[in-house]
Amino acid sequence: MEIFIILGIIALLAIFAIAQYNRLIRLNISVDEAFAQIEVQLTRRLDLIPNLVETVKGYAAHEQATFDAVVSARAKATSATGVADVSAADGMLTQALRGLLAVAEAYPDLKASTNFLSLQEELSTTENKVAFARQFYNDNVRALNEAVGTIPTSFFTGLAKVNARDFYEVEDPEARKAPKVNF
Amino acid sequence: MSSNFRSAEGANKRKTYLLLAAMGGLTWLLAYAALTYFGAGTTSFIVPIAVGISLIGVWGSYYGSDKLVLKMTGAQLITREDNPELFNLIEEVVVASGLPMPKVAIVNDAAPNAFATGRDPEHALIAFTTRILEVMDRDELQGVIAHEMAHVANRDTLVSAVAATTAGAIAILSDFMARMMFFGGGRNRRDGNANPILLVISLAIMILAPIAAMLLRSAISRRRESLADATAVSFTRNPTGLRRALETLARDSTVVRQQSNAVAHIWIESPLDGKAVSKMFSTHPPIEERIETLRAMEFLGPQQ
Repeated sequence: MEIFIILGIIALLAIFAIAQYNRLIRLNISVDEAFAQIEVQLTRRLDLIPNLVETVKGYAAHEQATFDAVVSARAKATSATGVADVSAADGMLTQALRGLLAVAEAYPDLKASTNFLSLQEELSTTENKVAFARQFYNDNVRALNEAVGTIPTSFFTGLAKVNARDFYEVEDPEARKAPKVNF
Repeated sequence: MSSNFRSAEGANKRKTYLLLAAMGGLTWLLAYAALTYFGAGTTSFIVPIAVGISLIGVWGSYYGSDKLVLKMTGAQLITREDNPELFNLIEEVVVASGLPMPKVAIVNDAAPNAFATGRDPEHALIAFTTRILEVMDRDELQGVIAHEMAHVANRDTLVSAVAATTAGAIAILSDFMARMMFFGGGRNRRDGNANPILLVISLAIMILAPIAAMLLRSAISRRRESLADATAVSFTRNPTGLRRALETLARDSTVVRQQSNAVAHIWIESPLDGKAVSKMFSTHPPIEERIETLRAMEFLGPQQ
């Protein structure tokens, strides 16, 4: 009789341990997925840039310094890997793009062109998606770090080889504001 | 009462569980009344039948909800080419929520409104009236989309199907009991050993249970609306957009043309006249109350 009780307790403990282990693994995977989503949205933004720069150049060819800033920020963002690098390049690019759009403000013809308007819509929705992807990533990191830091999941971090992850911090304080787009 | 979206979500979820438990309790109470009045033999026969009929009736409309609602509301599915800006906005909320991309539909209607349905996030459908797309700016529309996607995330089609099944079973069961009583059934009366007070209480339960079930069902629907508002803020972190959207809806007095009560609960703003139906039977909390809750979240400042 006792042997069954002991076996039952062992089985329950095993099920409990497996549940904790799986939870950590799942949370870790969702953080990876959320980071992949940030990269997808950042890539979309990078793809929009050459077109945008060309369009602005057509109306404001002499604003070379602004174009150079965008192009070099884009180059940095293209080669960035890892959370810290990607977020730093992301912040720079956001700032450079803001400069480019500020330049566009001074050219009414450019602002009225349909090509620019559709690019601007694409860019603003992509900016929003980048911001939301960051937020989703940070929410997932928050859930993971909470599990890593609290009992009982914290006992299984070694076994699952899951550790607390870094939040995606954007250097530029302006970029931390909630996305706000008006047409 | 000021609360951020996290505590608001928790409170509304807890209240939903309580209300669903109350529904279960009510079913049990009615079955107990049947037991007192008709005895174990009849009860063990009619309770499963009532639950079964209700389950069959609701399950079909739950499982095929995305297709059924399209038919009932006359909504037309659209693709990205039809309205790229709307799709951009929906994709933003999809990224924010981590949900799959839903199907999108348009209802040709002069009242601004929107709804979400579908048995799970993979079969979700969100629909907008033509008017809501005209009157709302980008931030407001984003709030509305977030509210609808919040219904998808919280699986509100399932919650309302469970509530409808229980309420339906209670209605059918008390209908059975009334008929059997009318036709002179009631074995226990002939046995002469039933407590008369207990019989009176059973009778009262039988009469009141369907009304109580309807009230509980409406209360669950109201909780899910408040929950969807809170979850929407967790997606956009922008209570202002949804608050302004609700103000726009409150200002507009036109209601969606289809007045079928069957699908009234799925719209973001109730299409039924608020005055005709008392607050207790309403499927939506008063819009002013929802606006106030969102305003309180705004005062907490930028939410992380």
